[in-house]
Amino acid sequence: MLAIQRSACHECDLMIGLDELESGQRARCPRCGWLLTAYHAEATSRALSFALAAAVLLVMANSFPFLELQASGLEKMMTIPRAGAELYQEGHAVLAGMVLLPIAVLPAVMLATMIALLVSLRRRARSSWLVPTGRLLFALNPWAMVEVFIIGVLVSLVKIGAMATIVIGISFWAYIGFVLCFIAAIGSLDRFQIWREIEACQA
Amino acid sequence: MSGVSTSPPETAASRGLACCHVCLKLSPIAAHSCALCGASLHARLPDSRQRTIALTITAALLYIPANTLPIMSTVQLGTATESTILGGILLLIHHGSYPVAAVIFVASVIIPIAKLLALAWLSWSISGTHGVAHRQRTRLYRATELIGKWSMTDVFVVSVLVALIQLGGLLVITPGPAALAFGAMVIVTMLAAESFDPRLIWDQEEGNHA
Repeated sequence: MLAIQRSACHECDLMIGLDELESGQRARCPRCGWLLTAYHAEATSRALSFALAAAVLLVMANSFPFLELQASGLEKMMTIPRAGAELYQEGHAVLAGMVLLPIAVLPAVMLATMIALLVSLRRRARSSWLVPTGRLLFALNPWAMVEVFIIGVLVSLVKIGAMATIVIGISFWAYIGFVLCFIAAIGSLDRFQIWREIEACQA
Repeated sequence: MSGVSTSPPETAASRGLACCHVCLKLSPIAAHSCALCGASLHARLPDSRQRTIALTITAALLYIPANTLPIMSTVQLGTATESTILGGILLLIHHGSYPVAAVIFVASVIIPIAKLLALAWLSWSISGTHGVAHRQRTRLYRATELIGKWSMTDVFVVSVLVALIQLGGLLVITPGPAALAFGAMVIVTMLAAESFDPRLIWDQEEGNHA
């Protein structure tokens, strides 16, 4: 059970008085409909398992060929880190950052942060980790664009498909798996619930 | 939707309290920083309206080079062909790839324009009097926040094409200046949405009732 004495709606500032929430219950702002919390007792363990799976898949997605191009007897292999490195070498450093950060670097930092935070939370002990990891995780959240990248890759496949043969590598499937687990992990994290658990540990 | 019981419509600000925008803890506004997470407390985001308008204008300006300059150039056997975002969409339609053309059109044209208009209108609406309900405007704000990052699709497409299509002198694709302008526009609109404080929409309601 999650006990909430008093809170305010983050989007319309209405004071909200809550009693106790059972696992699976949601609390919305009665005035603007903002979802205050979707409390789930198992949320942290669920988020942790998906985060661990996502971390393994992200390492795989960065280690193997992502796509391979074959045209007129020539071949060209692409991995995610190499795609960024090539943009950088050709003098497109900002563009390289604009692509690699939201699709790989920030998600990797978020996963490491999430695992550190959730492991500390499970130990139910006061820790200096909790607040900085919590702040970093929710600050980075809007900037991860892993699912957008999948759409970008699919569009590219159609565009290139007309002029050359594309071989889909292991990393492509690993990345799709990573995106599913990453979204599931982030989706299980309820901002209100996580911070109330951090608060309980810090008290 | 259960477990909720509200005291008569009363805001945190009217009680001298502020909801921390990081950890959602309720603290007295006089404290300046949140006792739990240390983030600075504001009853409303500082200069929310000015910042949103400034960033929306910046994004609108960036949208011009993003559409007029080439987003990538294809060098095939020594001949370079440059294409803009709209040119790329027309080419896809020409090849009959309607679904992909639709995806790029929505991500690169509809979403950015809708987002800029929504942010401009929301910023304007918090001072005027008009008939659009607070709840609907809050929904519009949420949608604006949600769809923003999908505009990055075309930038990702260009980067995949550039990374993959490097076949010596035969066929090479290089990114154009519009890729950078477009990416920057997406980032600036996301910052604009983040700096807009939806509570300002509701402050009006309280003002009208008073």
